[in-house]
Amino acid sequence: MEYLLSKNVEYVCECGLLKPLTNLYFCRHCLNLRCFFCCHHEVDSHFCRNCLENIPSGEAKLRKNKCNTCFDCPSCTLSALSARATTIQVPMTKEVKEGGEGSEIEASSGKMVSKKMYYLACLACRFSSRDVGISDQPSQNFFWPEQEYMHAIRFNTILNHYYSVVLHDKQLKQEERRRRSTKQSKFPNMTDRTGLNVSAIRRQMGFDKSAAKPKSKPTAIAPSIAEDVDDLPEEIFTQPINLKNITTIQQRFTQPANQPESVKHLYPQHKNLSIKRSIRCRHCEHNVIKPEYNPTSIKYRIQQFASSHVPEVRIIKCDQLVPNKSALITLKITNPTMNDMIITIMDLPTEEEEKMMIEEMRKNFEKNLSVSNKSSLMRPSLIEDSRIVSCKITAKLELPDSSFVINQRDDSAEFDDDVQSDKKDPKFILWRKANKIAIQLSITPNGELKVNDDVKIGFSMNFTYSSVPSSTPEKKETQRYALCARIYINAGKIVQ
Amino acid sequence: MPLFETVFQEKPTIVLEIGSAYSKIGFSAEAYPRFIISTEIESIKDVLKSKEKNIYDQTVDFFNKIFFNYLLVSPKDRKISIVESVLTPTIIRECFAKVLFQHYEVASVIFLPLHLVSISTLALDTALVVDLGYKEAVVIPVYSGVQVINAWQAQPLAAEAVHDEIKSNLILNGVKEEILSERIIEDIKVRTCFVTKMSRALSYRNNEQLQAAPDVEYPIEGSDVIKIPGLLREMAFEALFPEDNDFMGLPYIIIDAILKCPVDARKELAENILLIGGTSSVLGIKVRLRDELRKLLKSDIYKDRLYIDDVKFHSAPAKPNFTAWLGGSIYSHTDLISNSITRESYFKHPRIPDWTTYDSSITRSQG
Repeated sequence: MEYLLSKNVEYVCECGLLKPLTNLYFCRHCLNLRCFFCCHHEVDSHFCRNCLENIPSGEAKLRKNKCNTCFDCPSCTLSALSARATTIQVPMTKEVKEGGEGSEIEASSGKMVSKKMYYLACLACRFSSRDVGISDQPSQNFFWPEQEYMHAIRFNTILNHYYSVVLHDKQLKQEERRRRSTKQSKFPNMTDRTGLNVSAIRRQMGFDKSAAKPKSKPTAIAPSIAEDVDDLPEEIFTQPINLKNITTIQQRFTQPANQPESVKHLYPQHKNLSIKRSIRCRHCEHNVIKPEYNPTSIKYRIQQFASSHVPEVRIIKCDQLVPNKSALITLKITNPTMNDMIITIMDLPTEEEEKMMIEEMRKNFEKNLSVSNKSSLMRPSLIEDSRIVSCKITAKLELPDSSFVINQRDDSAEFDDDVQSDKKDPKFILWRKANKIAIQLSITPNGELKVNDDVKIGFSMNFTYSSVPSSTPEKKETQRYALCARIYINAGKIVQ
Repeated sequence: MPLFETVFQEKPTIVLEIGSAYSKIGFSAEAYPRFIISTEIESIKDVLKSKEKNIYDQTVDFFNKIFFNYLLVSPKDRKISIVESVLTPTIIRECFAKVLFQHYEVASVIFLPLHLVSISTLALDTALVVDLGYKEAVVIPVYSGVQVINAWQAQPLAAEAVHDEIKSNLILNGVKEEILSERIIEDIKVRTCFVTKMSRALSYRNNEQLQAAPDVEYPIEGSDVIKIPGLLREMAFEALFPEDNDFMGLPYIIIDAILKCPVDARKELAENILLIGGTSSVLGIKVRLRDELRKLLKSDIYKDRLYIDDVKFHSAPAKPNFTAWLGGSIYSHTDLISNSITRESYFKHPRIPDWTTYDSSITRSQG
């Protein structure tokens, strides 16, 4: 967990934000890092996280994004309500007799029959649907009584009124325009001068029916009437209040329609649905994350996490850091891919170079845009403005003098004995083991740092990346690319 | 699946009201918002102090939450209407537009003036709208469907002032400051406090001894129990009615707004007052305002200038805290939504027109 949450080693996303590798995606088509912020998000499918039912988006819209069967507890607002069964004694009726179970018993008026009834209860705060006066229901999946909204009718009249008013205005405007446009005729028309225009002739001939279209009139509405306000109840000054009966603001907002002030009106609320979202690269419109539709599955159909494409850097240990004094830092680099990687560690680009990179990226994007615009009807996405990395380096890093190779990942290699390669490794490499390598570099914190200041180092890591052969014909073969990742490391704090 | 959706019917407009404390979010033509959530844009409260990039990032994150955690819709190619006060800083309005157009690629955005759309919930076209929010109270008269902008009044007399009052008062009573978080103070305010009667407030001010409302034992986090004095319960909202020589209390700014309107309009405005905003849902505020306003009408400052006899209040078919949102929901259902700023026109002129923009090339016809 520490490894997932730590922010000691951060990679620069294409958009200029610093993120740990575990939070980044890797677009296979643009061969670049992408993050949550600079990608395009889409709703993939709706589901209820309580009953794990997949709900088609059309139906979800109809149900106002709420689950039909699951309820949230309105009191603690944390957990779902569960249906509890209870048995009650009811006098025998004909229905029970015909229902099957009671058919053997003779119908005598005084006989009692036990019947299962259900109510909703919260297992966390002991709220139950009986508290608010909802009677028990004969079936678990029975439609529980819905709470009515008291202003619903008034709201609908107002809504229809304004809709018709605007429609009416629009029609008037259109008519006006039509009337005006008829006058623009270039040629003098005899029938007009003699009063025999088209509509007059039509009327004479008895074709009038189509001419007079009924205009939509705004529906009538009674405007609200200002009323006198009620005085403050006298007992508020004398009666003590019971805090337990007054709802908190969080409880009120779980029911935005009614916002009850007393706990007596806390009705069970339909559970809100959740979504599976897919994430799309803005540059090439390819998905980097696409989940499976099935809500019970946590797998992905497409998953391009950066941690399975880009070499991962971790700090193993670091000497005590004192300003102006060199210290050794040991880093472990892991190759997650199935191909060997050649890695070169270099200086970070200067600010000017960084600006140029951003400019170049923008130009590239625009070029692609104009090419793709011609071919496809879909409107391409826009990209976020890239920014300059906000982190400032506070220590000097001595770069290794040569590049090195990290072996491919091989799951079976874990079971082999350690085999020392015959190749002579440069000095800065401490050890290598399967697809991992440890390097030792020396850093010198800047002189102006004070005690407890963070020591930040940074470098560009060039690595070779072999693309995974895909099904598209032009990319059938494995291609090798030289890629670059910028990495910022928080080496630790200055000590006395 | 999205393919069928477009064939089916037009998607409803997304209606947002981003308040400084709580945001109301939902869809057009619905009678109440789907969610009321706390606004997680820290810098919206202190716009002038924060950097633009900061607001932008926070807005992106917050809208991501709104669209994908609450409303569950892809914002791409949707219509959005944002209900906001005409006094919203331009920097926020432009930031919202930039986030929505550039990051979320929405089809169109319309900014609806909060005071104007609120009165559509009453089916009226003239009313004096008093918005009591978190940061400030804003009074803008609307006459015949037009906002009388030159008569606007605003004072920082809203929830925040009440919270400060409660906090300082409890600290004076010996409660440790650390346990009084913003959330707890809000809870104390919502569950125990109310606006007292004018007569009682006057007596307290004159140091008369009165039997105050009963004290309340208030448990905090299961470890502490603090006593909330009855006097505080009654007097917390007195922060909205300061009695000093500035004459800038809530009743004063309402009267001032009326006074700045033409004489013919005053009577109608005074008899159609609409209170909106979360703070106006507190018990007793309407009565208190009515009494205070009636008193002011007879007072020496206003007696011979105003020519109105009485004030009357409306109640909208909604809770006060989402009345403005409801107005936006009604407005967005009509065809007027086609007057909104489209994506294409935004990229031609990346500026949002408002009532202070005189650039004729940008101003668009208003509906």
